Amino acid sequence: MTYYAQLVLNGVIAGSIYALFAVGLTMVYGVFRFINFAHGELIAWGAYLVLLLINPPFSVPLYLAVLPALLVTMAIGVGQDRYVYQPLIHGNRITLLIASIGVSYLLRNTIRLIWGSDLMTYGIRPVRGIQFAGLSITPTQILMIGAAVFFLGALYFLLTRTILGKSLRAVADNMELAAIMGINMKKVSLTVWILASLFAGAGGFLLALDTNLEPMMGMTNMIKAFAAVLLGGAGNVWGALVGGLFIGIAENVGVAFFSPGYKDFISFALIFLLLILRPKGIFGVLAGVR
Amino acid sequence: MKKIFFLLTGFCFLFSGAYALAGTNEVVVGAVTPLTGKLAVYGEGFQQAMLLALDEVNASGGINGKPMKILFEDNNSTSKGSVSGIQKLIAIHKFPVIFGPAASSNFLAVCPIAQDNKVILIGAESAASAISKCGSYVFRVFPSDLGQGKGVAELTDNLGYKEVVLTYVNNDWGVGLAEVFKEQFVKNGGKLIDEFAHDEGKTDYRSEILRIKKESPKAVVNITYIKEGATMLKQAYETGLNTQWLMGSASKSPKMVALAGGAAEGVIGTYPTFSQETPQYRAFKEAWAKKYPGKKMPIFGEYNYDMVKLTAKALKGAKSMSPDDIRAALIKAGKGYIGVTGDKTFDANGDISATYGRWTVKGGKIGDYKK
Repeated sequence: MTYYAQLVLNGVIAGSIYALFAVGLTMVYGVFRFINFAHGELIAWGAYLVLLLINPPFSVPLYLAVLPALLVTMAIGVGQDRYVYQPLIHGNRITLLIASIGVSYLLRNTIRLIWGSDLMTYGIRPVRGIQFAGLSITPTQILMIGAAVFFLGALYFLLTRTILGKSLRAVADNMELAAIMGINMKKVSLTVWILASLFAGAGGFLLALDTNLEPMMGMTNMIKAFAAVLLGGAGNVWGALVGGLFIGIAENVGVAFFSPGYKDFISFALIFLLLILRPKGIFGVLAGVR
Repeated sequence: MKKIFFLLTGFCFLFSGAYALAGTNEVVVGAVTPLTGKLAVYGEGFQQAMLLALDEVNASGGINGKPMKILFEDNNSTSKGSVSGIQKLIAIHKFPVIFGPAASSNFLAVCPIAQDNKVILIGAESAASAISKCGSYVFRVFPSDLGQGKGVAELTDNLGYKEVVLTYVNNDWGVGLAEVFKEQFVKNGGKLIDEFAHDEGKTDYRSEILRIKKESPKAVVNITYIKEGATMLKQAYETGLNTQWLMGSASKSPKMVALAGGAAEGVIGTYPTFSQETPQYRAFKEAWAKKYPGKKMPIFGEYNYDMVKLTAKALKGAKSMSPDDIRAALIKAGKGYIGVTGDKTFDANGDISATYGRWTVKGGKIGDYKK
């Protein structure tokens, strides 16, 4: 029994990070109507920037390196929008999609150029997990869940309790109408990019703290996040949250029944089925409610 | 355009003619070697080791009086470059013997070409077990990974573990090695409590670790690489799994120890090795220092040296320069041949056997395991 409980716990840990990525991805989709393929690279950059700061010549302690790294990640996110997507925003959505694939290659290969393709680590000694009721969880993993709860809670507050959040939802609902109503589009798009890159960067750092860093880490997680977005219905923030958790739990619990080698197969098979049976995601009925 | 084409073809004929002429008073062997690209750091060393052996062959009379030469073709460290390199060596130069490229994937890309054209291909650094199935014209002076499967099985047996969990990387290499391990281990009376493949290149192996932990085995055989091995060891430590990890040579690297951050302590594994106490090895070391003073001996340099020496011996004994005659002579030459890297007797697959050493991690450093 504890075996299954541990699998579910592992699923929640993985899922909370997927959810962080998926929420950012779906917010960008909600406002700008395109899937930002370079989202994964924000994940990797968040992680690598911390690595840059904790090593010479900076040699900053880890906890102090996180904030500046996240600020730079946000700058990269905003820069993507300012210099690549904004000039193309009035064109075809496909143009934006292709541009984002280009940005993704550029950012990923910049990582390769600076740090190489090899696996890196923050060099923190592993610690034994905390044991309770037969379950094991490491302090990093507690931090992962905590961060996800904190960031998503803050997002909930922002979207429901503040004018900025409400205008964000309005823009997601109908961009033109929102603009006519006098909503400041610049402010809204800046907020979306800042939040998306913050979530990606923070998730990327936690993921690297928990495991390792490699240039492809963004890409792999971006695909999971994309799946979570589809599952929750594109543009639906809470759908993406549930989708992320769902994928995390499904692929971890699936290990009990299939070989772990087929972990990815489980989550993607589920998406496949859902797309056929419920093309609008699990929350298809609630379309429009964001 | 057409004119240029004719001109080029003309040049090709001219050059091939020149080589054919040259072939009458010297013996030339082709080599596809990574001289540029990501493997270039190793390629230079391979080349130097081959040239050292070549010097020795020519100093002692060459191939029945004719000097031996190696024509190096760069492959840019890629499979694509290897294929065009070997095609050039076969189609234009028509060499009967070619030294294959480093890295198993590059070697596997060229071996069907050599086999189809009935050209002898010899490898000095490629370990993949799939190379054994390349065909009758393909040889290796480097031990196949297949032997390692047996090596790990013997290690497990010798350490007294009768019941283990087996996990392996889900690719040709991992699955092949696991098969060999299983066969040998079960034959020795061992029992597998659980076995499963794990994916390459993941960062989260916690579910796999849990599956191992469920059985609480005394030992786990993990046939994997550096990254995967390090991640699994680290996560096993975090999960509180106490077991003896047994591994192969692909994870034997200081990088693995560094990535695992202390969790690699006490791992035991096997690796193919050869004695550094033999007169052959000492002679090689001396010759190297003389030809390349102050230069460190390159990785796999000994194997490249042996490859050239053995090929020269085969060419001397061959009835003619036809690939079939050379092939027969190579098998004969290998029989009982003791080179720098040990016995080079070829088996039916063109592979050699190897002796296996044992490594362990102690105090954050990789060293030899002693009971």
